[in-house]
Amino acid sequence: MIISLAWRNIIRNWHRSMVTIAAVATGLSALIFLWGFNDGVHNTMMRNLQQVIVGSIQIHHDTFFKKSSLSRHIQQTDTLKEALLEAAQGGRIKALSWRLDTFALAAGDDVSEGLVLLGMDANAELKTTRIAQKVDQGRFLQEGDGAACVLGATAARNLGVTLGDDVIFLTQDRFGALAADKFQLVGIISSGEMGIDRGLAIVPLNILQSMLEMNGRYTRIVLQVEPEHLEAVTDSLRMSLKGKGYEVLRWYDMYPMMKQWVELENAFYYIFLGVVLLIVAAGIMNTVLMSMLERVREFGVMMALGCGRGVLASMVIVESIILGGLGVIFGLGLGLFLIAWFHSAGIDLSAQMDTVARFYVDPIVYTEIDTDHLWQTVGSVMAAAIIAAIVPAWRVTRLQPVEAIHHV
Amino acid sequence: MSDHVLLEAGGLCKYYHSGGSDVAALDQVDFQLEKGAFTVLSGRSGSGKTTLLNMVGLLDTPDMGSLHIAGENVLALSLSERANFRLQRIGFVFQAYNLIRVLSARENIAYVLQLRGMKKTERLAIADHWLFEVGLDGLGNRRPDQLSGGQQQRVAVARALASKPALVLADEPTANLDSVHGESLMSLMRDLNDRCGMTFLIASHDPVAMAAAQQCVYMQDGRIVSVATP
Repeated sequence: MIISLAWRNIIRNWHRSMVTIAAVATGLSALIFLWGFNDGVHNTMMRNLQQVIVGSIQIHHDTFFKKSSLSRHIQQTDTLKEALLEAAQGGRIKALSWRLDTFALAAGDDVSEGLVLLGMDANAELKTTRIAQKVDQGRFLQEGDGAACVLGATAARNLGVTLGDDVIFLTQDRFGALAADKFQLVGIISSGEMGIDRGLAIVPLNILQSMLEMNGRYTRIVLQVEPEHLEAVTDSLRMSLKGKGYEVLRWYDMYPMMKQWVELENAFYYIFLGVVLLIVAAGIMNTVLMSMLERVREFGVMMALGCGRGVLASMVIVESIILGGLGVIFGLGLGLFLIAWFHSAGIDLSAQMDTVARFYVDPIVYTEIDTDHLWQTVGSVMAAAIIAAIVPAWRVTRLQPVEAIHHV
Repeated sequence: MSDHVLLEAGGLCKYYHSGGSDVAALDQVDFQLEKGAFTVLSGRSGSGKTTLLNMVGLLDTPDMGSLHIAGENVLALSLSERANFRLQRIGFVFQAYNLIRVLSARENIAYVLQLRGMKKTERLAIADHWLFEVGLDGLGNRRPDQLSGGQQQRVAVARALASKPALVLADEPTANLDSVHGESLMSLMRDLNDRCGMTFLIASHDPVAMAAAQQCVYMQDGRIVSVATP
């Protein structure tokens, strides 16, 4: 009875109800779209950070991250292999790559510059990261390469070298002795990320190991895992390697600023969500209150006939829920349509992206929405609809039958 | 209270504050209504008819006095218990019809039965019966705004009677009707009173209503000044 009466009261003034439903739907779809844009940017940033070079998880010698040194290296021990096998159960580790890195002085014909010298296994790296896709001149490393190197675009420009030129790397080996070698530039990377473009040189892993007297030794293992397995794989590795001289770090343990930035931006969106919810709640309350005030006499009659105040208040709340619910249905549909559309078409922001590209943001944003954000938003709008009904419902319970029946 | 008395009011007083002083809308009203009676409360506007009807209908509370209906001290009931008492025992017919706009005539009649928790098929069958009784057979699906004033008031009567209450209260039921429809409505109510045995208390200063009454109670300045049998 309550639902039927509430529904009829809504369609009694269909135009006003439609305006309210449209306002809720518009507000919700706008919120969903904005979350989609926000999550699209953030997830892309986090994916790019992990997929371009950092990986989802890294394993190091247990003090390497804070103070990197060749003496803090790791080897392919049985302990490590078993820990990786255990963590990879159920296909949770998509790929992994063993790396060796150190600081070096790179010299071109006239200029020298400090950068990170990174030894990579070309085949393993192709499966683990997308760094090879960032090469825009020449090529990435290949299996069987000798003393070949790939440089970041800014580093190459600063050194004054082009494809085919020789680059000398000067560094210290494991024992502290000077080590120097000549590499031929075979590729130049333009990733848009300053750290890579300005300060990275990639050489074949086995060549670097020989140069640094580090045969069979590495400085890090880079793992690629799906986001839903990140914590489980980390926990498994940490448990297996506990007290055995390793550190297991997630991408955001190594780059906390990225995660904090995402959380800060999400906090701004929650404030925005709150403001929109206030507007939605005010809109619904306006409609329900108007509708209630128009029916004071009718409420009085219903009370006289024996209808309890609780039933009347419930009816007012149900009206609000129906208005909010219809708004949510249409808003959810429209919002998800917009997300799907721009997930496919993308939003081209290249003109505005020059300065932020270095933070792994792609110039074309493809919208996507985390289910948590979607349901939080939908739930909040429904909660706003219910809260909006509290005042009208409370006023109904305060009505006196005699006064209400004679209300003009 | 004897078995044949349905309603007994003693020393009912109701004061309204107006212009710095208290005005007595009801002043020491003693009143009895027997089961099956068809009584008209008469008197000029402001004499206290509607106020007394509101007290008896548990829509308002007296400042002093006692009120028993069907042997129950109704002034001791809580608000929700009063609502339930109205639902179970009292039927209302209002001056301005006061049908629920979004419900059809049939649904308006069935509304009280629905509040009582009766099954849909059963309550709609009863509503159809009462539509027939009040001469609106076939008009059950019409909304109030699709019915004339006389037809709406008949629906209101049917709504008041459909749940077979012990007491039917009607406040100026003919006030918005022309004399033909007023007469027709009063004869309908009287006929239902005769056939169904329900007790009617009608506040009206319409001569048609008074002519139909078994008993006329005259009120003046919040007091009952005479009781007559036409």
